[in-house]
Amino acid sequence: MHNKEQIQLEKLLDLLILEASEKLSQQQREELNSLLDVFPEYTPDYFHKTTALAQVGFYLEDDFNNETLPLHIRKKILYRQKQELGQSTVFDYLNHFMRTLFYKPQYAWALTVLLTIGLSFSMIEFKNYESNYRYLPLKKIVMERTADDLIQYPWHSRTNDLGPVNGDIVWSDQEQKGFIQIAGLPMNNPNENQYQIWIIDPLKYGKPVDGGIFDVDRTDKAIIIPINPKLPISKAVGFAITLEQPGGVVVSSEPLLLTAPKERPQNTYPKVSI
Amino acid sequence: MSQSVGNKTEARKEYLLLMSTDNTDSILKLIAKGEDRAFNLLIEKYGNLVWSIGRKFLYKESDVEDAVQEVFIAIWKAAEKFDHTKASEVTFISMIARRRFIDYLRKVSKYRNLQSIDEDNGQELFKESILNESTDLQLIKDAIGTLEIEDQELLKLSIYQGYSHSEIAKLLNIPLGTVKTRIRRNLIKLKGLFDIKQQATVIELNNA
Repeated sequence: MHNKEQIQLEKLLDLLILEASEKLSQQQREELNSLLDVFPEYTPDYFHKTTALAQVGFYLEDDFNNETLPLHIRKKILYRQKQELGQSTVFDYLNHFMRTLFYKPQYAWALTVLLTIGLSFSMIEFKNYESNYRYLPLKKIVMERTADDLIQYPWHSRTNDLGPVNGDIVWSDQEQKGFIQIAGLPMNNPNENQYQIWIIDPLKYGKPVDGGIFDVDRTDKAIIIPINPKLPISKAVGFAITLEQPGGVVVSSEPLLLTAPKERPQNTYPKVSI
Repeated sequence: MSQSVGNKTEARKEYLLLMSTDNTDSILKLIAKGEDRAFNLLIEKYGNLVWSIGRKFLYKESDVEDAVQEVFIAIWKAAEKFDHTKASEVTFISMIARRRFIDYLRKVSKYRNLQSIDEDNGQELFKESILNESTDLQLIKDAIGTLEIEDQELLKLSIYQGYSHSEIAKLLNIPLGTVKTRIRRNLIKLKGLFDIKQQATVIELNNA
């Protein structure tokens, strides 16, 4: 064998060993292919079996080898096989999802953060009386049964523009909450105006306190609206409803539509010293 | 000390498990026949081996996890091509595993993979191999035993531990050329021993 040929053969063998044991670069692979053309008796997998057997041999001789296939990987492999067979079910998918979630710490942390955020929003939502419109009839009943200082007045129309209006208001100073129930108020267009609740607390405030805004989107049956005072109420003595600009106002100049009770009790007016 | 004894016991169990394959009813044959529990048995028997090889090749745990799944699916798909007269089960599995891990190594290293396991589909892998299952493992153990201790260590670092030649040169503080020459010389020697055994088996089979 000529010297040049010998050098080429050694280079080919080195590349074949690399091919069997580590990654080849694009350049090395091109060089390997051209050398295989020179020595057609060699194949790209020339050392594959030798290295594979040697790998197993070293593995068996390694007394300190204690690598064990983790159980969750075993389950993932079985799941992958089921997928390949088209036999995976929704239950398998959920199982796989949960396993992935709990065996990848970053996923578990992300889920924890999401749950915490979700829970926080839920708590805020729950506490946010204005926006919490779920289970209102039940909540109203519960308050009516449990509040010690419950006051309840029927609504009275203060304008001839309205048709017959029915309903009432319940309120508890201790709980700082209440509900109005109304049937007969005309539907409003929220883009143009909204109904606003006012709470009369003359002992603490000279002006009515904003009790929140609401919309009437149906007339076929009574609606229940939670009262959401913007300021702490010491002793509510009366309530009113006006129609205001969208979002409501701080101080109203609009006519009263409904009041409860019909007239504000006389003993709640400030005493005028003579 | 007890740790070492424990590891040796486990290694022995592993060895016996791998040596216990019955040629006529190998797990791969059972998979090819469509036996329900065969794939489970495959993972049971070769899971630790494949996982161990993967851990040597790939550094990131998530890469090993993904690659090991791919290896088992590849073995499962190639099971019907397994021929015990041409290669032992453990050889077949180890070859597919190594090829897959090297492919994966290329993929995660952003090297273009020109010849993946999918292309040769397992068909060309064993065309030269007609080693007998029961003698394969003993053969490789004996063959490695004929090498000098230093050469065994070099091969172990390269083939088993997955170090590149340049990494070995740095690790052992010897020239890269020396590493290449010694690994080349010893792999050729091992291959020669296998080829002699292969020819003997051919004669044995022809005389049978």
